[in-house]
Amino acid sequence: MSTNGSVLDALGDATRRQIFELLKGGPRSVRELADGLPVSRPAVSQHLRVLKEAGLVSDRKDGTRRLYRIEPGGLAGLRDYFDSFWGEALDRFADQARKEQG
Amino acid sequence: MSTTATEEIRKTVLVDFAPAEAFDLFTAGIATWWPVKTHSYGGEAVTKVVFEPQVGGRVYEITDAGEQDWGRVQSFDPPNGFKLEWLIGKSCGTEVEVTFTPEGPGSRVVLEHRGFTNATARDNYAGGWGAVLAQFVEHAQG
Repeated sequence: MSTNGSVLDALGDATRRQIFELLKGGPRSVRELADGLPVSRPAVSQHLRVLKEAGLVSDRKDGTRRLYRIEPGGLAGLRDYFDSFWGEALDRFADQARKEQG
Repeated sequence: MSTTATEEIRKTVLVDFAPAEAFDLFTAGIATWWPVKTHSYGGEAVTKVVFEPQVGGRVYEITDAGEQDWGRVQSFDPPNGFKLEWLIGKSCGTEVEVTFTPEGPGSRVVLEHRGFTNATARDNYAGGWGAVLAQFVEHAQG
């Protein structure tokens, strides 16, 4: 189970966001992903590892190759994360409003 | 097929400020209240949070290492509200909208963060993740 901090970190990188975008179109291999990006296959593998550790993608073997796909549970986790994120942020906002109201 | 609709986050707070003041505090005054220690990339290293008050403006944090975007302003309509493309979750196609409406002597502030896939997406995973993604992408592009 990943922490939500790592979910945010994982999506904070432009190349990882691009990889994530590509995976929305369906499962892809490292080679397919690298073909659509200006980075090397080892670099794609590295980014996929981070996305996987964050719980955002999963992989499975398909014959001789490995396919990566979006892990829906990871996105549900992201939503839950922001649910408490905004709750806390708005509490702080209301506190500040009270303070300034004096 | 509609069971995979997004489940938005909706939060409401009431403040004693009129909408115009509440709007200003939320946007121009964001650095005075935003909990950067826990709600940022840089944590304690964050020196400032900036909300550029116009359509196309950036919302971002600043650290000694540079700037990190949080969102882009899609609509800016004081004192009624604003809408952001939330870039931290950009790949999820998320959008944050905050509205300020008069309530008694103060305001009701409503924040909606939408564009997440429903938690039930997990249940559809085996049966038709393709269909889920089709809707998901539609939301992301909408």
